[in-house]
Amino acid sequence: MNGACGVDLAPAEEILQRYPAEEASLIQVLQDVHRAYNYLPCDVLARVAETLHVPLAKVFSVGTFYKAFSLSPQGRTIVKVCTGTACHIRGAVQLLDELCRQLGVEPGGTTADLGFTVKTVNCVGACAMAPVLIVGETYHGNAAAAKVGKYLRSSGGKADAN
Amino acid sequence: MRIESLAAFEGYVEDARAKFATRQSEVLVCCGTGCLANGAAAVAEAFAAALEGTPAQVKTFTKRTGCHGFCERGPLVVLRPSGVLYTKVKPRDVAEIVEKTVHGGTAIPRLLYKDPASGQRIQHYQEVPFYKHQTRVAMRRIGLIDPTDIDDALAHGAYRGLAKALTMTPEEVLAEVATSGLRGRGGAGFPTARKWRSCRNAKGERKFILCNGDEGDPGAFKDRSIMEGDPHSVLEGMIIGGWAVGAHEGIIYVRDEYPLAVVNLTLAIAQARDRGLLGTNILGSGFDFDIRISRGGGAFVCGESSALMRSLEGKVGEPRAKYVHATDRGLYDLPTVLNNVETWADVGAILEHGGAWFAAMGTEKSKGTKAFSLVGKVKNTGLIELPMGMTLRQIIYDIGGGVMGDRPFKAVQTGGPSGGCVPEALLDLPVDYEKLTEAGSMMGSGGMIVMDDRTCMVDVARYFLKFLTEESCGKCVPCREGLHQMLLIFDDLVAGRGRPGDIERIERLSRGMQLGSLCELGKSAPNPVLSTLRYFRDEYVAHVERRECPAGICRDLTTYEISPETCDGCHACFKACPVEAITGKVKELHVIHQDKCISCGACYDACPTHAVRFLPKHEMAARGVA
Amino acid sequence: MSTEATGEVTVTIDGKAVKARAGTFLLEVARGAGIDIPTLCHHPALEPYGGCRLCVVDVTEKGWDGWCKMVIACQFPVKDGLIVFTQSERVLETRKVVLDLLLARCPETPLIQNLAARYGITETSYQRNPDPTDCILCALCTRVCDHLGVSAIATVNRGIGREVAPPFGQAPPDCIGCLACAEICPTDFIPYSTSNSSRTIWGKTFQMLRCPACGRAHITVEQARHFAGKGGVSESYFTLCDACKRAHMAATFQRLQQVPGVSALGGR
Repeated sequence: MNGACGVDLAPAEEILQRYPAEEASLIQVLQDVHRAYNYLPCDVLARVAETLHVPLAKVFSVGTFYKAFSLSPQGRTIVKVCTGTACHIRGAVQLLDELCRQLGVEPGGTTADLGFTVKTVNCVGACAMAPVLIVGETYHGNAAAAKVGKYLRSSGGKADAN
Repeated sequence: MRIESLAAFEGYVEDARAKFATRQSEVLVCCGTGCLANGAAAVAEAFAAALEGTPAQVKTFTKRTGCHGFCERGPLVVLRPSGVLYTKVKPRDVAEIVEKTVHGGTAIPRLLYKDPASGQRIQHYQEVPFYKHQTRVAMRRIGLIDPTDIDDALAHGAYRGLAKALTMTPEEVLAEVATSGLRGRGGAGFPTARKWRSCRNAKGERKFILCNGDEGDPGAFKDRSIMEGDPHSVLEGMIIGGWAVGAHEGIIYVRDEYPLAVVNLTLAIAQARDRGLLGTNILGSGFDFDIRISRGGGAFVCGESSALMRSLEGKVGEPRAKYVHATDRGLYDLPTVLNNVETWADVGAILEHGGAWFAAMGTEKSKGTKAFSLVGKVKNTGLIELPMGMTLRQIIYDIGGGVMGDRPFKAVQTGGPSGGCVPEALLDLPVDYEKLTEAGSMMGSGGMIVMDDRTCMVDVARYFLKFLTEESCGKCVPCREGLHQMLLIFDDLVAGRGRPGDIERIERLSRGMQLGSLCELGKSAPNPVLSTLRYFRDEYVAHVERRECPAGICRDLTTYEISPETCDGCHACFKACPVEAITGKVKELHVIHQDKCISCGACYDACPTHAVRFLPKHEMAARGVA
Repeated sequence: MSTEATGEVTVTIDGKAVKARAGTFLLEVARGAGIDIPTLCHHPALEPYGGCRLCVVDVTEKGWDGWCKMVIACQFPVKDGLIVFTQSERVLETRKVVLDLLLARCPETPLIQNLAARYGITETSYQRNPDPTDCILCALCTRVCDHLGVSAIATVNRGIGREVAPPFGQAPPDCIGCLACAEICPTDFIPYSTSNSSRTIWGKTFQMLRCPACGRAHITVEQARHFAGKGGVSESYFTLCDACKRAHMAATFQRLQQVPGVSALGGR
């Protein structure tokens, strides 16, 4: 396998120290890895497979099964559109369309400059403020398609509810 | 400070109660995820700053609590002991509240809840209809305590049930739970005592107690609120469960999308260990039990119990056949009890007040209370807990305040992607497990999504199919291929490409999926389809045979026009249109340009005079209008 | 009548009384009694998978008042008094839906075409896969690979996007080139090439070991290493191919037994 990722394995080694070296630790390990690298680099997955004594094929299988994981680098800011039922009824579709149009990506995609990744999430439990848009850590309730540009520009700001 | 015995526990709780009783008053600021997203953190900070002083001077304490439930009116603040409820509080209101209400003892009318029917302002939160009809058992402490302070929880009754259970034998505990009639609150409604008993009887020394915190139903957030707002209620239930079945290990599986729940649960576990309520020799009983947390990876299917267990084992979330029950062979093929968050939260209360107390509430077969998240086109969106048996009408109108904008009610969807739609004709249905199933829906997690006339039921069914196609694990043919093909049929229906025989194909495929799928995800996937077909068949027929969407929602079938007779030129539609398809000057007739219109309906929603109308695209085309 | 939990039980399948050991899977019991139930993802050497759902049957018990439940025969353990219907209307309906769906996915695969035709389906009722494949996702390949203790390939993604693939879509580092996956595949979906000098599968190329006795390349270097490790024998055990090994052993036996008149097995 070509180790073309070229990432620093030190953070991964540190993460692997935190958990018992067994299959049951796999998903927790991958989550910490994803948080540290902003995706699952192939070299890291190989190291995880080795350390946890899980075949690489199975690690890869788990990495592609769960929505929390991306195998390619994600944007610095993750933008999530809630597509839960309440949000759907209150206009999430328009919101998502507009967001994708402005950033020039498909849902799940990342902008070429690795600035933003657009994701849909199933329900964040803030249904009273549907539709909900989360830019980074900031929740935007009662989000409007017309204000998408404003939300993107204010990424990293405080909580906002219109 | 470790509590070494049951006697010491009584003393400790008394001390904790006394400590909180010395507080003259409290300001309870709702800091559930919903209110936080609405700016509640800033409100809490403002109160803390306004009320700070030396411990001797400060008599009013600011408390950041879990979800109060009335999400529509957040940020919410409740004052104790007066019980005054303030809604939509902003940081700039805080100074006035402190001056007039905390110190002055008078309420500020503009911040009080206003009853839409009477126009009256209501002071006490328990008089507000949203709260008046509730009976909070699983959510008994949420909104009253600071979830990050175990002493606050203890002062309000946490672990009383456990203390009592440890003086009983496991058999006696099982009997109490059986008396309560508690059924699984995750959706299936399986009798909890029966599940525990199977596990107790299973052979083997090592057993597991699992908590399913993978609340995946879109629109449901009761489990999130419980885990965030009163994590100790979950821990307490699990320890009691362990005592009853003979397990010493508990794991809480929390979905990845609930970071605050993970934080609060982690803290609660650490504090419980510190007090000796988790770990070895709990309260001197000789019983050992500990709990850890495991985060999900983002898969709705992991709400299914066998898939959840595979996920805990580090594997993909593929369910397996239930011919051998998890209570015999579950996690690592060892005896396992898996229950939902709300079920665990109920257990402590049941042991504290007795099974008979719980069974005195509810209906014949569905005892006790149930948490519901009331969302969608309803005025009072939020989280409530009610005795089983209240009718949908009571829930949606008395508590929910009716449909948003007073639009006509169309249906309420319950049970998430496994559930169905209940139409207006059945609004007087008492809500319990059996009645909802008979009506073609199910209880599910407790999500209730209210829909008005601007909802297309074919679109709703398609929405759930799309959701499920992305969540199917892909192992079995009926679900993987069936959902995919079903969605293709629905894509055609909403785009006006329906063919004769589509409805029959849908029905046949539905039956095949119900009978052939490996797990409940696939088996119940046809429910939203079949229930909308049952009650709204005419909409399907309109889509297939006439290429029309009666609700005016499906964009490929619908377009909009402005009636010259009714338009008063208010310009509202112009401002609402996202693609500048409307032209018109203020006080003049506005026009929608068909070549630009994307049929989103924003103009229709914005128009105050009903001048905007929708009509089938083919009708517009027939007129030859551009 | 049955003896205790692991004793003999009597089940009734399509009206026929069949004896079996309690806990045996229904499929095995039925086939043993000459009653065929169709399967696609089943293999007698592997744990049942439950993915294709073709082996659905209706089961009931006395005291259920005729109420039946649908189960898959390959994973359902028999018990005394079980009554089984392998051809009830809803069983046949379900099998048809499964085959209809598979035919949509794999419209050009003879195995599926033939099986579907047996149930009266010559054309799918659903949308034909615009990118037809022969892979029916029975996972026999990944399961046998796991069974052999290699786990070089696995299912990737979920839902309709699920597929069988090596990690990262590249040559799987753990693959030993044994061809078990290709051989167990019911639709010959997995391509490979093999010769006396090398073998390629899943984009990975292997060096072959040639039998010194007959010259045939029979096993890859990696395969020998893997099975030597598992079996606790030396790698040299795998130098001779199976046929020559048998011949060698037969000759040894002959020598030891000194059975007159039995001709030694020659070469090939």
